[in-house]
Amino acid sequence: MASEPATTVELELEQEQRLVEEAQQGNLDAMRPILERYAGPLYGTVILPRLGDAASAEEVLRDTLATAVEKIRRFTWQGKSIYPWLRQIAINKVYDVHRQSKRSRRLADAMVHEIDVETDPASHADAQLIADQERRAHRERIDETLRHLQDRYRTAIELRLIQELSREDCARRLGVTIGTFDVLLFRAVRAFRKHFGEYAERAEPPRTGDT
Amino acid sequence: MATQDDDTLTGSVPDPDTEPAPAELAHARRFAELVDKTLSGRTPPAMSADDRALLEVATVIRATHGSVELAPSQERQVVEDALRQAIGAPAPSRGAAVPIARARVRRWVPWIVAGTSTLVAAAAVAMLWLRAPAGTGHESPVARRAEVPPEWTSRPADSLVGPIARDHAGDASARIDAIFADRLDGFRARRLARGGKP
Repeated sequence: MASEPATTVELELEQEQRLVEEAQQGNLDAMRPILERYAGPLYGTVILPRLGDAASAEEVLRDTLATAVEKIRRFTWQGKSIYPWLRQIAINKVYDVHRQSKRSRRLADAMVHEIDVETDPASHADAQLIADQERRAHRERIDETLRHLQDRYRTAIELRLIQELSREDCARRLGVTIGTFDVLLFRAVRAFRKHFGEYAERAEPPRTGDT
Repeated sequence: MATQDDDTLTGSVPDPDTEPAPAELAHARRFAELVDKTLSGRTPPAMSADDRALLEVATVIRATHGSVELAPSQERQVVEDALRQAIGAPAPSRGAAVPIARARVRRWVPWIVAGTSTLVAAAAVAMLWLRAPAGTGHESPVARRAEVPPEWTSRPADSLVGPIARDHAGDASARIDAIFADRLDGFRARRLARGGKP
């Protein structure tokens, strides 16, 4: 599991506020603990589930953090974590990637579709709450799509991609040859992709931010 | 006719029990190997657009179930790169993380070196100019011409040989003997001037 931000352990809100203020006064190195704290959740719950490509996700994370450092003076402390602000930057970067790469529109929309989370500045929703909520929402969408697949396809995906069993073990569990299992997984991922896109079409269009 | 690759992403997906065509079998095997590599963190950079699209789906599923995360070392590197990118410093080679404070200093190092070199060069020129006033009469020993007899010096042999007439063109040995005798005289004179010492 990607490490999730904690509220009181290492980087409490007060400490975070102090670091942000230091950075806003010109000591950009003060951003380091904040970035180290939130890089994991941003990658694991915001960027990668929307991109699906680890290398691109790492690049987007790097851009997100660099933009945050560059624009830290524009950030206004509102009594809650800086995480929602970082998350919004990350989402906008992901949109940019999808716009630039001419991928299948349906799947791209499905992947970048923003999940509603509590980002009301007046609230005190902290980073962990947001990350947890986001993770749950992503998972519900994936599970919902899996439910629409035929049993053998669903099982193939669960064994190979979620439990990460070897091809040999997966084939043994399903009572087929490795070659047949390869075909099952191939078709299962194709079917998932198709259903996932249809799910996105039923969902709300993506929201754009102004960060 | 549409090939298997053409409709991998857009065509309908057969039922699990449908017998695969050889092309589908080959594609499925290729995709299975890609998944293998991706699960072991060795995703190949080059692959077909169809395979990439399917692999992204697989990664989304894995990421959503928390199976994919950034290694701590990668995470540190990304943070370091981002900080460096934000201050406009060039990224170092992979695996060599340099703290941002040192990176800031490094950014100025070439300018400091260039400035110091210019100052040192200017100081050297000024010192040379101040220490060598014109008209003192102290000439450099290197610049002084050595005062030695002409027979000690390297010199042309034209005056010894003179113009060579066509019918004496074959007398090269006689000309060489004349030159040799002249040079031997010079050698002897020099040696005698030193009291017979070489």
